[in-house]
Amino acid sequence: MKVVIIGASFAGVAAALETRKRHPNARIVLLEKQATLAYIPNGLHLYWKKEIEDLNKARFITEEQLVKNHIDFHLGANVEKINTTQKTVNYNYQEKEEVITYDKLIIAAGSKQLSEKINGSAQESVLKYKRYDEAQAALAKVKESNHVTIIGGGQVGVEAADLLTRQQKKVTIIESMDYVMFKYLDKDMIQPIQQAISDSGIDLKLGETVSTIESKTNHKVTVNYGEESVTSDAVIMSVNVRPHLPFLDAHINLHIDQTIAVDRYLRTSVKDVFAVGDCIQLSGPDKDNIYIPLINNAVRTGIVAATNLNKPEIAFKGSLRTIGTKIFGHYIASTGMTESDSVFSNKTVKSSRQKIRLTSLPSTETAIVKWVYDAKTHVVLGAQLISTANILEKVNTLALAIQTKQTIEDLQQTDYFFHPSYTQMIATTNLVSWMGEGLFDDEN
Amino acid sequence: MKIEDFLEKNEVREITIFKQLVLNNGKLTYFDMLDYLSVSKASLETDLDSIAVKIAECDLQVHIHYDGQIIALEMSDTVSLQHIYRHYLDQSIKVEIIKFLFKHQKFTITQLSQKLVISESSLYRKIKELNTHLKEFDIKIRNGQLNGEELQIRYFYFQFYYYIEDKTYLLSKYAGKQMTQAVQTLEKFLDAEISPENRQKLIIWLIISKTRITIKDQQVDNLRMQMKPYLKDPLYHKIQVMVFRYFSRYSIEVDEGEAMIHFAYLLAFSILSENDFHEYRMIRDRHAPIASVDTQVAETIIIHFNFRRLPYMLERDMYYHLTHIHTRLYFFQGDVEIYEYQEILSNEKQIVGSHLVFFADELLKVSTEKFNRESSESNSLFRTEVPKYISLLILITSKTAKVLQVGIDLKIDDLYKETFSQLLMRKMRPLNGIQTEAYEPNKTYDLILTNESPENQRIYKEARVYILAKILSDYDMENIQQIILELNT
Repeated sequence: MKVVIIGASFAGVAAALETRKRHPNARIVLLEKQATLAYIPNGLHLYWKKEIEDLNKARFITEEQLVKNHIDFHLGANVEKINTTQKTVNYNYQEKEEVITYDKLIIAAGSKQLSEKINGSAQESVLKYKRYDEAQAALAKVKESNHVTIIGGGQVGVEAADLLTRQQKKVTIIESMDYVMFKYLDKDMIQPIQQAISDSGIDLKLGETVSTIESKTNHKVTVNYGEESVTSDAVIMSVNVRPHLPFLDAHINLHIDQTIAVDRYLRTSVKDVFAVGDCIQLSGPDKDNIYIPLINNAVRTGIVAATNLNKPEIAFKGSLRTIGTKIFGHYIASTGMTESDSVFSNKTVKSSRQKIRLTSLPSTETAIVKWVYDAKTHVVLGAQLISTANILEKVNTLALAIQTKQTIEDLQQTDYFFHPSYTQMIATTNLVSWMGEGLFDDEN
Repeated sequence: MKIEDFLEKNEVREITIFKQLVLNNGKLTYFDMLDYLSVSKASLETDLDSIAVKIAECDLQVHIHYDGQIIALEMSDTVSLQHIYRHYLDQSIKVEIIKFLFKHQKFTITQLSQKLVISESSLYRKIKELNTHLKEFDIKIRNGQLNGEELQIRYFYFQFYYYIEDKTYLLSKYAGKQMTQAVQTLEKFLDAEISPENRQKLIIWLIISKTRITIKDQQVDNLRMQMKPYLKDPLYHKIQVMVFRYFSRYSIEVDEGEAMIHFAYLLAFSILSENDFHEYRMIRDRHAPIASVDTQVAETIIIHFNFRRLPYMLERDMYYHLTHIHTRLYFFQGDVEIYEYQEILSNEKQIVGSHLVFFADELLKVSTEKFNRESSESNSLFRTEVPKYISLLILITSKTAKVLQVGIDLKIDDLYKETFSQLLMRKMRPLNGIQTEAYEPNKTYDLILTNESPENQRIYKEARVYILAKILSDYDMENIQQIILELNT
């Protein structure tokens, strides 16, 4: 069996490794557009954070590991078209047109930061750094800039703002919604972050949509939004990513949003063709299909598609859109449905916020937890956490609780260890049962 | 634009034959029909033959008989003129072109001429004809796609699917769980309740918007200009947040233009209930163009009828309707003229009263001048807004009218007196807000109708007296109506 995988980022590599595990004799070929392998998207943030000393170290797998697994890979291979009737893939490799046949094809071509609405966003002076070569260019440009404008206040944009402020850069963020990170947090949870953003001197423009970006002669860039504009040395695009799949043939059905339509087994409308990662919609927290381009989803879909190559064995369980990060001195995490997103659901939800002491010690730090649960059944649907202490791992417990449909009463009974240095009388994630009992008193 | 614009000339004549027969109790002489259509004998006969063929093709229970002198229509109780229109529109090439454009967004001449089985030159001709009608919407079919402001394109499609094409088809094909959910989401976001009829309207709009959402290079420049006074509007803000949040769930990029399009639609097409609209009216900027024209027109109406103050709920209702009319005039261009309402209102001038028609024209002038919109004959939107004003004025006058007591005191021979009094009462029955009876001396009346000047004015006490010029004449009816209106205000 010959398995061709288009794209060697997380989804493609996960699919390749799982295929190898299940089919020791299969020939596996990875076609990767980038000239380098397995660059961690936004690895630039790791560099700015000084967690790696060289951008080139932002890799999640090495060439040797692929070789060891007998996985062929072609870097700098630009897929131009696929023919699902003939089962061929045409690609450009080292300036030559190549054709490869396949028995099974997995499309893991990822996504790009594209904007068709913002005029001038495609120009080079507008930085995007999801890919390695883009990151190199961005690194050099930002280094020589004093003032950076970031378009988009999502997770990537806010992380970048934090890291650039630490480098003493002046930062402007322009976000079209009325608060940052709106996909993951409710407005009542974001206050500490927005306070920290404004305390750090960042100019935060909310509810503003960028219309055009113009390069000026003095190497400056002007971003126009509403009736106003801001001129800075560099502009970073951190808007939503979208798949870019010009090579597909007409037999592969797409959704209106141009993602590839797949079934629960990640099969496309064409036999033997699968699609994974940022190319597809997933079943979201409310079981409706939405677009959730996260690396954890890419890896899991890669594995599921590889499992189903010969016959449908496991269905993809869906995504809770679980995230965790640290920005402006706060650890924040979110999983499942937010209260704001519950308007898209048929369920009636209730929510509750609690301020929780993390240990039994007098000097303990606190965390704010927000629960979103079904008003009728009390099944937990979503949770958000924010704290100056590292509570990120707790979100995984909560994600598991949501995935296994635990009620808030079930959570109260979950068995957690007690140790005064690490927990308080009632464990953080048990506290849900004390909702509405004045846990916010000390805030007032 | 009229529904007939989608039909060929001979088809319009054929439909007119049906229409004339319905208007003339199902029968018309051959010569009257010739006269009405201003066509030659030969073409009338061709038309009648063509009708016979078309009727035979469909299973409608309709027949047209022609015995050389009289043309007669026989239609079963379950068939209306609408069905006949539908049958003709189903065969229309122009309708097919629009449907194809809607579904595929783009076409090549070769592809479409093959699909419609017509020659390329006929297709060019049809497109050219369509473009003359689309002009009033300020949109155009060019290079195989609809060009123009995005709001206008969606508005045209909406009018097309709501009034011209069979909407049940669109709904059955596209309206699924996702659409119902989208409406529910909108209700939750706006904290509003949408009625079942409006729900259907909204779903059609959302289906259209969904098929247009990924079109590249949508034009919204004009809309952006129009929206400048509304960027801080509370309803717009809610819609903007909803639009951004909704599309953040998909791999679709939208900007404010998308939110602006929905704002204009929701406000112009009376999607919100009166109650929800009232909540919005209380917090909207009263100096923004639509609100300020609403106020100006409302004041003009109040002054015209000499109202001191309108009842609270009626005033709310008036603003509700005025905002819809004015939002249309402010944001949109062109319209599809629907036969029923407009023709009924203009044909029933006697019931409506010509002064109301005249006053409605005045109101239109006030609003269009304020919006700096040039009134033009070719723009149906101005024509279609007049009956809406008329309708609103009727609503206001009938709701504010007190019941006037009218006494009929005819001075003629007894037998005729009773008969003519009865006939006069019957003729006055359509007038709202009056109670008519044969005059009784001991009662008090607001208006007395008589045919002779009374010898002693005082016998009718405080009542106003009108001397009939000619019993049962239209001339008198017109005057009586005006008097009733005066007495009412």
